[in-house]
Amino acid sequence: MSMLQTQAGTAVELRDVVREYGSRQARVRALDGVGIGFARGTWTAVMGPSGSGKSTLLHCAAGLERPTSGQVLLGDRDLATASERDLTELRRRDIGFVFQSFNLVSSLTAEQNVALPLRLAGSKVSMKDVRAILTGVGLGDRLRHRPRELSGGQQQRVAIARAMITRPAVLFADEPTGALDSAAARTVLGLLRSMVDEAQQTIVMVTHDPAAAASADSVVFLRDGRIVDRLVRPSVREVADRLAALEA
Amino acid sequence: MFTLSVATFRERWQLFVGAILTVTLGVAIVQSSLLIVASAGGYGEAIAILGLALGVSAFLAAFIVSSTFAFTIAQRRRDLALLRLIGGSRGQIRRLLLSEALLLGVLGTLLGIPAGQIVLSAQTALLENLGFLPGSFSAAWHGWILWVSLGLGIGVAQAGVLAASRRASRVRPLEALRETGAGAKVMTVSRWILGILLVIVGLTLMLVSTAVSNPNGAIPLSINAMVALALGLSALSPVIVPLIGRLTGTLAGRGTIGRLARANLRDGVRRNSSTAAPLLILVALLIGLAGTFDTLSEGAHHQLTDNVRGDLVAAGPIAPLTPGVATASTEYALTIKVTSVNQGDTETDDFPALAIDPAAYQQAHQLPLIAGSYADLHGLTVAAAGGKLGSTVRIHVGGQDLNPRVVAVLPPALNGSPEYLLPRDLVPPPALGPAQSIVRLQPGADPAAVARSLPQPVLTLDEWIAQSDSAQDSLNAGVMKVVMGLAALYAVIGVVNAVVIAAGERRREFAVARLTGFTRNQVIGTALLESAVVTVTGLLLGWLSAMAALIGISGVAGTMVIPWGAFWLTALGAFLVVGATSVWTSRSATRATPISLAGTRE
Ligand SMILES: Nc1ncnc2c1ncn2[C@@H]1O[C@H](COP(=O)(O)OP(=O)(O)OP(=O)(O)O)[C@@H](O)[C@H]1O
Ligand SMILES: [Mg+2]
Repeated sequence: MSMLQTQAGTAVELRDVVREYGSRQARVRALDGVGIGFARGTWTAVMGPSGSGKSTLLHCAAGLERPTSGQVLLGDRDLATASERDLTELRRRDIGFVFQSFNLVSSLTAEQNVALPLRLAGSKVSMKDVRAILTGVGLGDRLRHRPRELSGGQQQRVAIARAMITRPAVLFADEPTGALDSAAARTVLGLLRSMVDEAQQTIVMVTHDPAAAASADSVVFLRDGRIVDRLVRPSVREVADRLAALEA
Repeated sequence: MFTLSVATFRERWQLFVGAILTVTLGVAIVQSSLLIVASAGGYGEAIAILGLALGVSAFLAAFIVSSTFAFTIAQRRRDLALLRLIGGSRGQIRRLLLSEALLLGVLGTLLGIPAGQIVLSAQTALLENLGFLPGSFSAAWHGWILWVSLGLGIGVAQAGVLAASRRASRVRPLEALRETGAGAKVMTVSRWILGILLVIVGLTLMLVSTAVSNPNGAIPLSINAMVALALGLSALSPVIVPLIGRLTGTLAGRGTIGRLARANLRDGVRRNSSTAAPLLILVALLIGLAGTFDTLSEGAHHQLTDNVRGDLVAAGPIAPLTPGVATASTEYALTIKVTSVNQGDTETDDFPALAIDPAAYQQAHQLPLIAGSYADLHGLTVAAAGGKLGSTVRIHVGGQDLNPRVVAVLPPALNGSPEYLLPRDLVPPPALGPAQSIVRLQPGADPAAVARSLPQPVLTLDEWIAQSDSAQDSLNAGVMKVVMGLAALYAVIGVVNAVVIAAGERRREFAVARLTGFTRNQVIGTALLESAVVTVTGLLLGWLSAMAALIGISGVAGTMVIPWGAFWLTALGAFLVVGATSVWTSRSATRATPISLAGTRE
């Protein structure tokens, strides 16, 4: 708690966000009045039982889904009401994504995948930067490979490199280590840590894995669409115990 | 953006082969038909056939390209959503697809231009063979045709992708995260509206057409009714395919395969309607056109057999008091120009007419008049098919302009029968064309003996009717050969394309089915059963659309002929092509071990 308050500013803030799915008879309240701020330069893990609303929280915070009510503030903009054009603009400059399924364009090489956000934004593409970033994630020798020629861990590193190239203020990650073995997961978590520490980027990460959550600065717990708990710099053990208590 | 198009194209070229071939074929046929038309000034029938070929060709090319795009874009929703997720704008998605279509159009055109020269010699040979062009005919090359071909190829591709790209640009970024990539709803509101509207338009046109008494009006009306109904039903096919699947699926039994096939038919709605659509259009065109021609010639045949009373037909006038001849109606064929005034526009056209002796004609032709009487047909008068009793028409015959009064209204003229009857004395002798006489013999006269004394050649009435049937039929057969061949070619491309694209999408589904305990043969059997149901649906809906044309034309023809032979032949071909493609693609999609596929997504 103290940690979030001492930080300079808030990168993303959710105010009383409600998200409902379905029509009248079969209405599901996936988020039920969530209010939370993600401070700049911090890494927050979101945990909770399956179906507790973690992904929904992430999608609302990232402007991929519009809340039924409430506000999502990124800087001085409310994503809940932003136009499609503004959201596109945000995705180009301020927001990055990494997901469990690696989401690479299968027809493009690693290099081309990483350069794609810059091309879409119409910025000048420096192949030197692209290579430097891929070398930084340990793929300096795989520049010309296509996704299907890479392992799962390597694909995920390409996806992270792609999220890094535009230096987004906030990176949203949904189970980024979900499909990786523990060694590959450690590499990916190390990369995320360096983004926070070295580039002051903000990360919001949904995970099921207590070890992954313990690498974050703080962990929030969701149940039935509400934030029910928060731990700062917990140990793996503490996270696992808390999660077990929630799922019980 | 263009790099991405090229990369996608390289990666997914199988998806585009069908569309490229379609553009190639379209460009080739239009190019060759135009070159022949440009050189075939005097050969009206050849031009008419090529005109039909041109229209059918351009229509089918646009139809297949656009349904291919709609299908492939539905399959690529995840990829497109991913682009949106990492910062692509809606406009960029559209440009991506438009430039893919551009690539496709250019490629198709580059193949189509040389292919056009091959089609040109084939078409010329076919038309010469059928007797519509002289053996010495050769179409001249024109430089401008290259521009037409290029414009057509690129135009068809761009037009084909337009609607699909608009839909694709509305893909939400979040869809990149859905594992199943199950595209958006197939039956959108606009698709419902479009489908229902087209069906209504089709049925209305059909009803209007049954009320039209002139074949020149009824033919295009009923063909348009058929096209509208076919397009409407193919828009609605995502609702109809599962319905028919449930009906026929019940027949397929409660076995495991039948059950799975039925579930798949409900689930793979887009895939199945993409396969059914080209079949539907094919059957509609083939059966509709063949049936229209058959119905018209059957109607003409009825008119002759029912109405002509005589024993012999001689090729010339009959001398008065020829022994053995009771009565003879001598009829001179000629072409007159008729000027009609329509809301201030005057229009002059050539029409076939007969110069007759009214009294004799009435004895030889029992054709009931719609209004008026043959008895008034003398002096400055005329009998006309259609038109109003008592009105005057402006005609030009034998170098003079006349304004005769319509004293008799004939029923609508079917294939080749005259539109106008003029009293013999109205026409100056030099303007009279070849004569023929319908002769009735005196009781007891020997036909062979009398025939020898008449202008040769002399035919019996039955021979004469058969001859006029076959003259008309050879024209129809020629048209049908050209058009059917074309339509079949397109439909085969369209169907095979859809089956191949669909099987690629189903690798993983097949693998999962096998992991849950289905044998490879059961999986292939299921795919085959599904494709059989889809084929039945396509055939049935196509047949229904064709019926719109036939019902529409039956009003004017007074009869209706459903070309069952052509239908069963088409059905057999469809089952063979779809079945073989389906077995082939599902075999190759299940060749690898299931576990290696169940994990992969692409
Ligand atoms: N598109 C949707 N339509 C209807 N209901 C939805 C939709 N997306 C999510 N839900 C519902 O909202 C609730 C929260 O879903 P969410 O995906 O956020 O859970 P989660 O915490 O991410 O679960 P998991 O750990 O399994 O990924 C669930 O009950 C889910 O069924
Ligand atoms: Mg989730």
